[in-house]
Amino acid sequence: MVESFKDYLRSHALVSEEEFEVLRPLIQVRRYAPGEFALLAGDVCNHHFFVEKGLLRSYTIDPGGKEHIIQFAPENWFLGDRGSYYFREPSEMNIQAIEPTNVVMFDQLFVEKAMCTSAAYNIFNEQLLQNHIRQLQSRINQLLSASAEQRYLHFVDTYFNLTLRVPQWMIASYLGMTPESLSRVRRDLAIREQKIS
Amino acid sequence: MRNIEKVVAPGTPHFVGDGFRVHNFIPGGQKDFQKRMDPFILMDYNSKYTFPPSKHSRGVGAHPHRGFETVTIAYKGAVAHHDSAGNEGVIGEGDVQWMTAGNGILHKEYHAEEFSRAGGEFQMVQLWVNLPARFKATPPGYQGIVSRDISRYRLENEDGEIEVIAGHYKGTEGKATTFTPVHLMNAKLRENASADFSFPAHYNTALLVVEGEIEVNNEIVVAPDHFLLFQNDGEEFVIRARKEAVVLVLSGEPFNEPIVQQGPFVMNSQEEINQAVVDFNMGRYGSFGK
Repeated sequence: MVESFKDYLRSHALVSEEEFEVLRPLIQVRRYAPGEFALLAGDVCNHHFFVEKGLLRSYTIDPGGKEHIIQFAPENWFLGDRGSYYFREPSEMNIQAIEPTNVVMFDQLFVEKAMCTSAAYNIFNEQLLQNHIRQLQSRINQLLSASAEQRYLHFVDTYFNLTLRVPQWMIASYLGMTPESLSRVRRDLAIREQKIS
Repeated sequence: MRNIEKVVAPGTPHFVGDGFRVHNFIPGGQKDFQKRMDPFILMDYNSKYTFPPSKHSRGVGAHPHRGFETVTIAYKGAVAHHDSAGNEGVIGEGDVQWMTAGNGILHKEYHAEEFSRAGGEFQMVQLWVNLPARFKATPPGYQGIVSRDISRYRLENEDGEIEVIAGHYKGTEGKATTFTPVHLMNAKLRENASADFSFPAHYNTALLVVEGEIEVNNEIVVAPDHFLLFQNDGEEFVIRARKEAVVLVLSGEPFNEPIVQQGPFVMNSQEEINQAVVDFNMGRYGSFGK
């Protein structure tokens, strides 16, 4: 455990081995069974999660009891509720494991220490934030203006092999469409893309 | 004489979808075992299990496969199959379904409607037979082999019979066509009856005790639901039924190519796996019509 987090920080944030050893006591590792919650709506999100192995999802539940998936986090993805984490407010999101999942958890103390320890981490942290905002903007725009097929194609581009790892209804929930609409999108694609064997 | 390498007890079962409660023998949680069993890359065994009656047909929904063949052997119960190449069928007790995923297929497999409604004992084997690089892009195919059409070699003195699914046994040829040499057969032996087998030494060879209890090479007793792997040091072995037995015997010529698996895809390289995923995402394995 923590090896892939270390590799990730080394390659993306240029955190050296020595710097990582300084930071190591500030991270926690945890293993979640499928269905287990890493965050429950109503609680404050105290940690960011980095997925070493497995798959998490974040979602909200509307007053009618329907789930809306905000994000998936497979290997090497970060997940958390930034708003709740930063402003210390109760989160509206649930974070739940879909597969047996190993995560690295870190909090504000880790981030502050990392910024003091490694100059490169400052740049990385800024990039992570800006990239996250860019993703969220793009997701809002997709949900408002893209066709069902464009949304699906964007999804498979973003998440690549998740179509094999999550049930259809979760993908539909993420895309803001019914499972029937998603089936239609996939069927239309299939008819156009079918292999001539 | 072909010596015994090991006997494997069935491990903790897991569910595939909600319809198949299986013990996995290949790869059995061992990374190198697919290589060792080449060309057999997966063996799931649903040991005898009673499913209660259900209005909903239990099983596995639409999922893709590519690069190999799936072989389902039904001992108890019945499963229905549908695929994107337009094949469908129900296999019941004694029947075999041999599906070639080849270049890519979507299929679903679930308990046959009538079986679901009534519930009952269910027992099946699913075997994945790898395809060598030169056949990975073969068009999908389906062979449904019903029990009455299975070739049978009758042993002397009413000792039982060998149901040859693929390959051959003493001149009796199995109906299933294969891309590389594979022998697959059920030996059905009455109590105390024996049958001898001979396959080229380099063929990877194993058996699964589906019913009864057997003795192999007059040397080792193998209990029901246990898997036995032979060494590659000889050709012949003999099975004797200590109790009336059904034994699945498998032997195949290894083709020693790299095996890269991701879930339902088995290819030769990571690049090919990535392409298999992209093709799935883009719907290139077809659909279930309409």
